[in-house]
Amino acid sequence: MTGLLTTSVGSFPKPEYLQRARTKASKGELSEEGLRALEEKATAEWIHFQEEIGIDIPVDGEQYRGDMATYFAENIDGTEISGLVRSYGNRYYKKPIIVDELRRKGPISVDWFKFAQARTKRPVKGMITGPYTMMDWSFDEFYGSREEACLAFAKLLHEEALSLEAAGAKIVQVDEPALSTRFDELPLLVKAVGTVTKGLRAKTILHTCYGSYDEIFEFFNKLPVDQLDLEMSNSGLDLLDRFKREPLKKEIAFGVVDVHSHVVEPESLIRERIEKALTIFEPEKLYIDPDCGLKTRSVEEAQAKLRNMVAAARAVREAHRLT
Amino acid sequence: MVRTTVVGNYPRIGDTFDEQSLRRAIARFDKGEISAAELGDAEREVVKAVLREQNDGGINLVTDGQISWYDSQSHIARRLASVEINGLARYFDTNTYYRQPVVHGAIAWKEPILVDEWKFAQANSKAAVKAVLTGPLTLASLALDKHYRKKKPLAVDLANALGEEVSGLVRAGAAHIQIDEPILTRHPEDLPLAVEGLERIRARKGAAALTLFTYFGEVSKIFEELIETPVDAIGLDLVQGAATWSAIAKHGSEKPLVLGLVDARNTKKEDPAEVAKKVLGLKDRINLKASFLSPSNGLEFLPRERAREKLRILSAAARKVGVAA
Ligand SMILES: [Zn+2]
Repeated sequence: MTGLLTTSVGSFPKPEYLQRARTKASKGELSEEGLRALEEKATAEWIHFQEEIGIDIPVDGEQYRGDMATYFAENIDGTEISGLVRSYGNRYYKKPIIVDELRRKGPISVDWFKFAQARTKRPVKGMITGPYTMMDWSFDEFYGSREEACLAFAKLLHEEALSLEAAGAKIVQVDEPALSTRFDELPLLVKAVGTVTKGLRAKTILHTCYGSYDEIFEFFNKLPVDQLDLEMSNSGLDLLDRFKREPLKKEIAFGVVDVHSHVVEPESLIRERIEKALTIFEPEKLYIDPDCGLKTRSVEEAQAKLRNMVAAARAVREAHRLT
Repeated sequence: MVRTTVVGNYPRIGDTFDEQSLRRAIARFDKGEISAAELGDAEREVVKAVLREQNDGGINLVTDGQISWYDSQSHIARRLASVEINGLARYFDTNTYYRQPVVHGAIAWKEPILVDEWKFAQANSKAAVKAVLTGPLTLASLALDKHYRKKKPLAVDLANALGEEVSGLVRAGAAHIQIDEPILTRHPEDLPLAVEGLERIRARKGAAALTLFTYFGEVSKIFEELIETPVDAIGLDLVQGAATWSAIAKHGSEKPLVLGLVDARNTKKEDPAEVAKKVLGLKDRINLKASFLSPSNGLEFLPRERAREKLRILSAAARKVGVAA
């Protein structure tokens, strides 16, 4: 029996040379091609790192993205990008503005998927910013209805999912960090994600984070995907009891390291977390990953966290004689 | 005929180099390159600019834009006794975050929180500056309570502490006090608790006008009780809370209202004529002369340039109401 496969949620920190290059490019001091070459270099380095430490299901690390919603919006017709708005503290970001009917210009993330997949034999995840999050994080000057805007995104993201699959993606992940924003809109989210994943042969995953899972729990089994990827370590593993009472009928990717903390969790702590998860979930349906994207950590912190995570998963596998 | 006001926060940076002075100053402060006093100077320069924008935009009752607030919760809570400030938590459905206050003992007022900020703003504004405080019920609901273990005693102690602050603001000359209770749009059943808090604050407000503002949703189910709360005016989000509109139309209000009709969470520009038409529809139901037009909530969720635009839309709509009435 196999089990406890390791993976990542999506983003990794950008190395310093890439951060500097992005600043230069934003001032017009570096060409698009010049930036692209460094994004490719960083992506290749992250793929190499994941191979080296033995992550089973790698990701491309999203070195080419600024914000997950604006990156997708920049590649969709009918959108503009807003001025800066504050997220918290001294952090600002730009939001998509829907100004016309939404249409996919062409493949959005497919080239990056191909670039990453060409560098490893392991299955790389195709990554899509989900329709509900795209809608919730955009200003809407066109549809005037959250449902309409959300379903318009869903329709074009379905095309993107099909393109990823055609390019060889065996796994497609839909990121919905905004999932728990408005509980009354969960049926809309289910409908929209279902539109994206409809008819896919690839394994589908839904990632969400920062939720108060209590109120969304009953929707978990209704989500039209094969696997749920949840932040578990930062929510203090409270959810486990609930899963004991109300079993999940899907695979789960179980977040075991906190992406908001500088502290690198020791292997022993991660092992404990995995052991706890094993009391509830079958090992072949249990995947091990960080809570969320690691992009806000330093490269060193992110790599140390991933190393300990892989070592912990390996140790638990051996202890339970899983191959 | 109808006056204009804002709700509270305002974008602290814009998209030009000059408008990003505070962002640079904070980055330099974090690196230890400038002192706290220099950072304070940078903040006050932005407060002045924000007041200028509101004055230029023709707003009758302004705020300091809450430029020095890290967020709506921790800025107030961190100055109270027995509160520590924790990690980030999501703020309603806004995709922004606040630092969560942790209550580990009995809450008490300890030192002035907003008085100096208000004084500075009023000294730099032609229009009257309103002092805005996050309400005790919302503070109690969004904090991590490790001491009281019950919302009511926590909210009551918070209300007493805020009452002390309000009395300081009034002594400093503030004639308009606003208490924000957005949590009522999520938990209307907590209205009695909000009222208890408001009674305590009201007792300390002297001659100042006290406004209760709710936003991020509708309050139609509690509208009739809401307009009976012990305050002088009620502020309503009529965009995300559009469902409250029919309650106003049905029941009317003797108490002046602040009509949050201009969408503070969407860049789309309203037509001032249409806003005015909506307002005039209430002519026989509310006292327009004593009421205000406002954005639906703080303008900080918009890019600066669009926030300025929304101010112009507000005053244009108010002028049209005046001409028509
Ligand atoms: Zn996440």
